[in-house]
Amino acid sequence: MPSSNPLAPKENALFKRILRCYEQKQYKNGLKFAKQILMNPKYAEHGETLAMKGLTLNCLGRKEEAYEYVRKGLRNDLKSHVCWHVYGLLQRSDKKYDEAIKCYRNALKWEKDNIQILRDLSLLQIQMRDMEGYRETRYQLLMLRPTQRTSWIGYALSYHLLEDYMNALKILETFLDQQPKGNLDYEHSELILYQNMVVQESGDLQKALDHLEKNSDAIVDKLTLKENLGSLNLRLKKFETAAKIYEELIKRNPENTLYYKKLIESKQLTDPEEVVKFYVEYAELFPRAMPPKRLPLNYASGDVFKNLVDKYMRKGLSKGVPPLFVDLRSLYTDKTKVEIIESLMMQYVDALKKCGKYNEGDTANGPKEPASALLWVYYFLAQHYDYLDNTEKALNYIDDAIEHTPTLIELFVTKGRIYKHAGDPQEAYKWLDEAQALDTADRYINSKCAKYMLRANHVKEAEETCAKFTREGVSAMENLNEMQCMWFQTECALAYQRLAKYGEALKKCHEVDRHFSEIIEDQFDFHTYCMRKMTLRSYVGLLRLEDVLRGHPFYFKAARCAIEVYLHLFDAPLKDESAEQELNTENLAPSELKKLRNKQRKARKKAEQESAQAAQAQVKKDQHHKCGRGDVEPDAPQLDELIPDKLARVDDPLEQAIKFLQPLQMLANDRIETHLMAFEVYFRKGKVLLMLQSIKRARKLDLNNSMLHTCIIRFLKFISDNKVEWDPAVDSVLKSELKAHFNNEQDATKLNHQFLETYGDRLESVLEGGKMSYYLDKSSRSRSLDLVLSLDNKYKDVNIKNCNNVLGALRKGDFGDCAKEMEDYVARCNKAFPYCASFQKEKTVENNHIQSENALCSDCQIVNDEQFMPFNNI
Amino acid sequence: MVTCTMADEACKMNGADEEVPAEKAQKKSAKYDSGVADLEKVTDYAEEKELSTQDFAGAISAIGDQRNKEALEKQAREKELLKVSIKKEDVDLIVKEMEISRSQAERTLREHHGNVVNALITLTN
Repeated sequence: MPSSNPLAPKENALFKRILRCYEQKQYKNGLKFAKQILMNPKYAEHGETLAMKGLTLNCLGRKEEAYEYVRKGLRNDLKSHVCWHVYGLLQRSDKKYDEAIKCYRNALKWEKDNIQILRDLSLLQIQMRDMEGYRETRYQLLMLRPTQRTSWIGYALSYHLLEDYMNALKILETFLDQQPKGNLDYEHSELILYQNMVVQESGDLQKALDHLEKNSDAIVDKLTLKENLGSLNLRLKKFETAAKIYEELIKRNPENTLYYKKLIESKQLTDPEEVVKFYVEYAELFPRAMPPKRLPLNYASGDVFKNLVDKYMRKGLSKGVPPLFVDLRSLYTDKTKVEIIESLMMQYVDALKKCGKYNEGDTANGPKEPASALLWVYYFLAQHYDYLDNTEKALNYIDDAIEHTPTLIELFVTKGRIYKHAGDPQEAYKWLDEAQALDTADRYINSKCAKYMLRANHVKEAEETCAKFTREGVSAMENLNEMQCMWFQTECALAYQRLAKYGEALKKCHEVDRHFSEIIEDQFDFHTYCMRKMTLRSYVGLLRLEDVLRGHPFYFKAARCAIEVYLHLFDAPLKDESAEQELNTENLAPSELKKLRNKQRKARKKAEQESAQAAQAQVKKDQHHKCGRGDVEPDAPQLDELIPDKLARVDDPLEQAIKFLQPLQMLANDRIETHLMAFEVYFRKGKVLLMLQSIKRARKLDLNNSMLHTCIIRFLKFISDNKVEWDPAVDSVLKSELKAHFNNEQDATKLNHQFLETYGDRLESVLEGGKMSYYLDKSSRSRSLDLVLSLDNKYKDVNIKNCNNVLGALRKGDFGDCAKEMEDYVARCNKAFPYCASFQKEKTVENNHIQSENALCSDCQIVNDEQFMPFNNI
Repeated sequence: MVTCTMADEACKMNGADEEVPAEKAQKKSAKYDSGVADLEKVTDYAEEKELSTQDFAGAISAIGDQRNKEALEKQAREKELLKVSIKKEDVDLIVKEMEISRSQAERTLREHHGNVVNALITLTN
């Protein structure tokens, strides 16, 4: 310990006790010993003691003092590795990993062979995915501790993660050679399976197969062994062996659908008839197994299909299998199958009513079907017609079912769902509420109900509903956040977005984003744990999962919402007083306005008081926590509080949007929406090459996307409008890229014309094309509107979603002022879609916030519904 | 560096020699006390297992050699890249237009031998 100020033996002993106290979490004692050293005037400024005192204080939650002492200690003894190490630990506890790495490196400068520091450094490096650095550190650890198992594993792993399979394998082999033979424990088995994983990833399948066969005795995880043997044999086209293995696997677990598919592959069956025959054989072999009954339905057709599906559905209906329809829904891509299913169901209804059988011809033999069979048939048919967008019939059947059995919860859920699909979220939520009331102890139905409430923009009710299951004493919203209940928070954000409460929406999106950061954070503990437990396959799996974590659909949904809101805030920034109020006061008489202002003032006062109280309570709670659990790890650094009003009034909404966008560009680049959103952001920033980038990436995914078309048109217009300003390099990039991608047509008007002609039978495309016509040339308004507002048969996609999008565009002013056209359009849509709330005059006030699903052209409506007014907006 | 670690090694191995019987004894007792052992396993303070003594020296030096060769190759590549001369204005332009970090911009530009147009085209892919 090359300290610049070595302690005398007595103090040195005390210092060692500080270290021990720290390890054993006896922080108070540690402080006592530190005080004893510092009391000696000779050591009052002793760097390492000061640093340790700081570190101990940090563990007691006294962060500011901690930093003060550690920094002071470091200043007093810059050459001490202890001081640097302590500073690194402090930074690490604050999740400032980059900083911590620097500190550790400094510490190593003064003590290059310190195992503890090297280990800590390696953890940070793998956490930050500094793979080269990680390998370097693991190398040093191996050199220093070649007798330790983890040294070898860690070094091999570092090569594996760098995709240097040869070296990884070489190290593993050397290591395994040293292991005692005949070792049959689980950890050894896992290590061999890990080795096999590396061989497989290196691409040498034959070697992997040989390795697996040679070591099969040492592998105790027999299932994984078999599955790997099967897949390797199959990939090496050793079909007979593969078939045998998969047969054994099916015997082991006849419910695993993958085994059947692999066995078919091994048997090289491609003809659908053969495949069906194969499944029928297995259905006889394993009469209780589901896959051999369900899977052939995917391949069969005609009468064979009819026979099979008849048997399958009868069994489900007699047993009362609620998700029968969901199970069969994937078959609905085939129209003839839909017809067969429908006709069979009709036959069941008639026969069950007449004689209690599925077929009138069956009367002679066997007992009658249970009374509930008819109910399940009704239930199935309701979902069937709902799926086919036949709201009328769906409602008839679900009402028949409810009449048959008025206490079955599923029926009410389905009724709600039918209304949801028909475009009436209010009515939908009422039925879900009904369902929820039938069994308040069922959390599934409770959550469903909350979700429907959010879809209908009843945030408060949703929270109250959820509160039935959240922890008592905390607000439901807070508890759901703590539990990382992301579906709720995302739906909440979307509801707030529809309600134009942008700050609240952003708060929810940021909360979801923080969950993802936390999940990434949480992997830290696994770096040591997995290495020691030898669960390396799962560990590598975890690392790879964390790398793409923000590619998860949950993140995508929240990020999309945030980006849309930020784009909106850029286009229409909030005024000083909140925008909602502005709009509402426009039409008020002066006296009413005064009243309103008074009311608002009171509300604000009340809100302030409440928040002050809440803050106080929070402080109390924190103190309580501190006293109660003195050794609570202070590892959660305090994040900035998310304040809706602040979030909605950021100075740089586009930069904020980019923060949500970037993970998507990295991890969700296979979704065209990612690039469309990127275009919207960069279009507003006027970054021409980044616009080009978004368009190029989107074109790779889908050349004919209607939204992409609008991006291209706006891009071309942007270029021709701003021609002179480019840097020569940018200019030549644009020239060559335009030529490569739009060789034939670079004129926006002509391109738009072509688009409208090519996709003249798609309302979705015509709407976007029409918008662009008006955008390029205002005089084309009536022509474009004629096209867009038509509901006749020339379009094959006149549906609720697209009509809502048209309505949204009219509202937003994409075709100028269209008040008259809108009224007429709503009336005509109402005739076409009588259940859809956004086309119902009396409901539009309440429902005009139902946002069109097409995200980028959507605009949020300001709601006039009293209960959502800003009075309760804190 | 290699020689120094070899020396280290020798002394470590002597140390390990002595530890082996002790570890075996520990294992035995663990069997009769499996509950405690399980608990031990889940805590963070379990001692890491030591390997039986073998001569790792040869293997390690082989790995070390391999590593060095590779590192050298990589260094050479990086050096080659650094030789490419690039203009500051070009880097500025890339940073401004593509909103990426300076180092990333420099690297891309070097990879394209300083040709700013080609670098930009690659970045828009």
